[in-house]
Amino acid sequence: MDPLIVTQAINLVYAVSTLAVLALGLAVIFGLLGVLNIAHGEFIMIGAYCAYVTQSGRWPYLAAVPLTLIVCGVLGWAVEWIMIRPLYRRPFDTLVATWGLSLLLRKIAEAIFGLGFYSVNIPLPGTVHFLDTEYPIYRLLLIAVSLIIVIGLVIWYGGSRTGSRIRAMISNPELAQAQGISVRRLAAGTFIVGTCLAGLGGVMLAPLIPVQPFMGLDYVLRAFFVLIVGGLGSAAGLLSGAAVIGGVDSVVSATSSATDGYFAVLVLSILFLWLRPRGIVAHS
Amino acid sequence: MRTASLIVLIAIALPFLLGPFWAYQLGLYALYAAAAVGVGLCWGRAGFLPLGQALFFGLAAYLSGLTFIAFADLPIIAVLAMPIFAIVSALLAYAIGVLVFRRRGESGPYFSMITLALSLLAFQIATSWNSVTGGFNGLKGIPGLPGLNDFSDVYYVSAAALLIVLAIAGWLYTAPIGVLWRALAQNERRVQLFGFDTNQLKAFAFGMSGLMAGIGGVIYAPQQGIVTPQAVGFGLSADLVIWSAVGGRGSLLGPVIGTLLVGSLTAQLRDTLPFWEVLMAVFFIVIVLVFPRGIVGLADPLARFLRSRRKHPAIAAPKRLNSDPPARLVLNSIGVRAGEFTILDRLSLDFDPTGIFCVIGPNGAGKTSMFNAVSGELATVTGSIDLGGMSVSGLTPHRVTRLGVARKLQIPSVFQHLSIADNLAIALWSGRASKLQLLDPRLRRWTTPMLEDLQKRYPFLASAERKAGELSHGEQQILELAMALLTEPRVLLLDEPCAGLSPEETTAVIGIVRWAAQRLGGAIIVIEHDMSLVKELAEVVYVLHNGTLLAKGSVAAIQADAAVRAVYVGGEK
Amino acid sequence: MTAGRLAFEAVTGGYGSTTIVRDLTGTANSGEVLCVLGRNGVGKSTLMKLLFGYLPCHRGQVLLDGKPVSQLDPSARRRNGMTYCPQERPVFDDLSVRDNLTLMRTSRQIGAFRRYFDRFPILERRLTQHAGTLSGGEKKMLSFVRGLAEDQPIVLLDEPSEGVQWENILHMIAIIAEKKAAGAAFVVVEQNLSFAERIADRYLIMDQGRMVLEGSSSAIHRGQILAHLHV
Repeated sequence: MDPLIVTQAINLVYAVSTLAVLALGLAVIFGLLGVLNIAHGEFIMIGAYCAYVTQSGRWPYLAAVPLTLIVCGVLGWAVEWIMIRPLYRRPFDTLVATWGLSLLLRKIAEAIFGLGFYSVNIPLPGTVHFLDTEYPIYRLLLIAVSLIIVIGLVIWYGGSRTGSRIRAMISNPELAQAQGISVRRLAAGTFIVGTCLAGLGGVMLAPLIPVQPFMGLDYVLRAFFVLIVGGLGSAAGLLSGAAVIGGVDSVVSATSSATDGYFAVLVLSILFLWLRPRGIVAHS
Repeated sequence: MRTASLIVLIAIALPFLLGPFWAYQLGLYALYAAAAVGVGLCWGRAGFLPLGQALFFGLAAYLSGLTFIAFADLPIIAVLAMPIFAIVSALLAYAIGVLVFRRRGESGPYFSMITLALSLLAFQIATSWNSVTGGFNGLKGIPGLPGLNDFSDVYYVSAAALLIVLAIAGWLYTAPIGVLWRALAQNERRVQLFGFDTNQLKAFAFGMSGLMAGIGGVIYAPQQGIVTPQAVGFGLSADLVIWSAVGGRGSLLGPVIGTLLVGSLTAQLRDTLPFWEVLMAVFFIVIVLVFPRGIVGLADPLARFLRSRRKHPAIAAPKRLNSDPPARLVLNSIGVRAGEFTILDRLSLDFDPTGIFCVIGPNGAGKTSMFNAVSGELATVTGSIDLGGMSVSGLTPHRVTRLGVARKLQIPSVFQHLSIADNLAIALWSGRASKLQLLDPRLRRWTTPMLEDLQKRYPFLASAERKAGELSHGEQQILELAMALLTEPRVLLLDEPCAGLSPEETTAVIGIVRWAAQRLGGAIIVIEHDMSLVKELAEVVYVLHNGTLLAKGSVAAIQADAAVRAVYVGGEK
Repeated sequence: MTAGRLAFEAVTGGYGSTTIVRDLTGTANSGEVLCVLGRNGVGKSTLMKLLFGYLPCHRGQVLLDGKPVSQLDPSARRRNGMTYCPQERPVFDDLSVRDNLTLMRTSRQIGAFRRYFDRFPILERRLTQHAGTLSGGEKKMLSFVRGLAEDQPIVLLDEPSEGVQWENILHMIAIIAEKKAAGAAFVVVEQNLSFAERIADRYLIMDQGRMVLEGSSSAIHRGQILAHLHV
């Protein structure tokens, strides 16, 4: 097989799977709880900065994972308690509040780290011979990890008790309470899982992109478009949305320019908003 | 008028009070303030949040800058082109609004994200399109406005632009459209049920905000001499939102005060106080969560002093645009489903063009769903609905209302934050005001003979300035009923008009319903559980059960019907 | 007389500012069924929501074993000994029948439900199916089994027999009788008079949000009840 085609194909798989894992946190919070967390991108940013801090402290790269989980977990808990919980019935105010949060997190990052770009070293540098071509090891690893996380979470959600309780809480909150589910605590836990997933995505991605305070904006928009196109509330929606958005972006960016890729994604999302607002995998 | 004169005086006096350096700063920030007023219009009035407002500001700036450069020898052309570019921004904003505000339901988050995306896209284009925009370093060497020399001159041009923007906004806020924006921010569905196309209203609001940003942008280019991608980008968009929130987004001057105070302070303090921006972000969150009126909220006593106290005489409203005769409402075997559940099952109802009819039935029988289907809020999968021989199936709610259908909802849905007078005015505009008339502030003084009669019966309806939210539950029911009557509908749908009312209030409502039946001459269809009410009012009773018609007839006939009894009492199977 | 396990005093409330239920008082004693009857729209379900904490009382209070419970939200009331089976949306449509039954139990074992499955074999047959595919009556049976299997001292049932076949209603009557003998207190809202007559120890009949007739089932005749239920 032509190595160029293989490389492009793997690039496509890479784009789709990383997009899926980056959108996963928002899929949990927006898709399940119905809260549009505009600060989702900033939690990804926090993960990336944690990776940078880990590198500066000369710790092994994997130490960034527990660090991110702690920071995003505590922050997620605080945000849910102060900002999200009082505003569950006011979606517009939640939007404004999370936008304010995203601003705050960005400004804090700016104050601590400055506006400059940081580079995080790739923990597994080099390439490997894969399917007739040389491909970076780290990216292959990311593909594998992304797929494991997404598929693992989906299986857990569908099969476990907690997953069933979350589904119960979402589809029929009154009955869930009647059966003794503390909807408040379960919703808070779900939110925290969403922010931690975002942070993990940031840790994974950090070696491959410039780490700077504004990095999150791009990702929250892409994640949002993935959910609009794919549909909220299901794994199939997340994956199909990631496939379409990731695919279109990759192909258009490779053949034309990154700006055109972005434009194509935007146009596609608006079209979906008109013609199929519930997404490819419409969930009632 | 008092307020306006005061503002103009202050605007003129400022450079003398503050000196040339501040005059220059304020000249710049006045242009940003113009864009911020637009944000205030969208967010504080119409209830949606534009996160990419700099797009319109920067677009106008780039266009203006390019023209000034191209016509450096004949600057008069560039000057004449300025208003055109502001209008270009307005049209672009309007087009985006029309494209995005198409969903029937909640479109807030989608709109905000799309405006954010557009602003980022614009930034990318501005940065990469080197040949036209000068790329990352910007469009340089823009000549200044002809005939202006020192800093104060520049200031006066900006101040004039800002005053124009404030005049436009002030006029829109006192016009009917301003009232409708505030109403739709509180309860969009209710505004649609009064016959207004809310998607268009929102798109228009966004278009006007684009105009305001454009006015600021066209002057920005020659004033600053350079336009960089920052002018279209995310940072400025974010700042506009912050300034308008902190200043007080719901008021006319709030965004201006926010921009001038916070904006210029930030420029000074950003370098000296490292955590200034973090502080601003916290401040923003606190204001949004706890103190939405912003800085302007602190000046309430002053605002009261400045408010004009003159009472203007009332104006007689014109007749309804659609003065059609009473019509027969017929539902032909309609079916409504929600997923697997059948809500309405081959329901066929036929209502005479005049009279009072009651619809009763057990919980879940589909009564309110039937009303929702008639008003166009619930799609029917089978069957059709005719009004006066004309099909209304598939029409959007505001169109159905325009054909002469009015509703009083189950839960009182008056506009809580608007005054009683404004609530009643919205009802009067429904079906009577053309789109252009919505820009005419005189419409706020409309009255009709029916309104005067209602105000005689219920004096509280004449206390114009009281907020509807201050009324008791019973009074809100009556206000909403009055609003439905004022649209002089051919078919009036009342959903449990006496829910939660005391016996005296219930008697009052019965009285109004009878009086309305005579006055309007159309059909009044009432969903009720209270059998004493049904006995008093109904000429014909329709009993629904499991989404279909179980029985129809006079009250006595229904009471004697075995099938009806079985459904209400339950029996052995 | 023993103090009611569940008592409500002068309870007044509704949705938002609307008042639907006015000044209702009653008790559910251990080993008794209090049947709440009335036409549609009189506020029976609203009363249940007030008792279980979905709605706050504008006035009056709800007492559990003599202690006021206004602080407790519905899930807390469930943990304090109250079971509630709602009238609308009685099951989780997206979950299987088995998951509906075992959602809050420590294991997924259904051995505990043997005595219920013996009476309602259809539920056992449909264990793996999504509850959304059940008929209305089957959903009510599922909800009933879930609720009674919780073995709580106070059970609130809102129209448990709606859509259920008579032979299964007889099973419900038998199960309720068994639980009563074991000391449970019931508050049951019903439209089906034949069912109500066979389980009620006390009646509370409502009209327009207020109590119009109440007393022990031995003191009230069918005719009196029918007079208030008729259209």
